[in-house]
Amino acid sequence: MSHVTCIELISFLDAYVAEELDAETRTTFDLHLIVCPSCRAYLASYEETIDLVRGVAEKEEELAHDAPPELIEAVKHVKR
Amino acid sequence: MLETRYAYSMQPVAAARPDERGLVERLRAGDERAFEELVDHHAAPLLAVTRRILRDEEEARDAVQEAFVAAFRSIGDFQIESRLSTWMHRIAVNCALMKLRVRERRREKDVDELLPHFQADGHQQQSSVGWKESVEDVLQREQSRALVRECIDRLPESYRVVLVLRDIEQLPPDVVAEKLQITRDNLKVKLHRARQALRTLLDPHMRGAT
Ligand SMILES: [Zn+2]
Repeated sequence: MSHVTCIELISFLDAYVAEELDAETRTTFDLHLIVCPSCRAYLASYEETIDLVRGVAEKEEELAHDAPPELIEAVKHVKR
Repeated sequence: MLETRYAYSMQPVAAARPDERGLVERLRAGDERAFEELVDHHAAPLLAVTRRILRDEEEARDAVQEAFVAAFRSIGDFQIESRLSTWMHRIAVNCALMKLRVRERRREKDVDELLPHFQADGHQQQSSVGWKESVEDVLQREQSRALVRECIDRLPESYRVVLVLRDIEQLPPDVVAEKLQITRDNLKVKLHRARQALRTLLDPHMRGAT
């Protein structure tokens, strides 16, 4: 892959962010990112999407700290 | 610029803590109090997990209950080198997925229309624009968290589940592929599509910020 366009970059973006690409491919992707503001924006928002998914879940867990007491009781009861 | 945190599951693989060892031994001995401790300690985080997968309160609670029963029955299989929380997490995921499988398969819409489009020369049909606010700022507001949650829930179920298991629960790819009975390649494609589709759903809100 000596020359890439947006379509290749975006198709392999998951491998790019997971650092699974070989060094050569990675370099060609980096070069495309330098000249293509649209792909830079896409990459950033792709990563932000993952961060948002994770962040929302963490926040939800943080806020809902206790399991409902009736559930706790039910679980303990089932065991008996 | 790149971060390895997306590369693999970050599930802690540390060995059982000393206090866990005692608890496990008591569980194996059939100690009632030990079971109650287990429930008190793990019910809340496990409920969060089953809620995320099932998006239905009643089913989520049932799954937690079943997870504890399953855990207690199979405590003999628990490897003392692993963490109790990791082990319980896997069991709860299994119980939730079992329920998902039982659900009537609704005809699933595809995510094609939510994927980016390209011109013949390989360029993006519509230029992407950076998002206005930082992730941290968006997460601060309950309203925008609800919006993100809504967008996740709008994904077709099989894509949503892949996203939850990989990006939130952070289970390793081979484990998820096996649980969902799909190939690893298929899983890779689905996860990438799920993220792209979600990005598209979030985009109009995030461009102008909420
Ligand atoms: Zn580009």
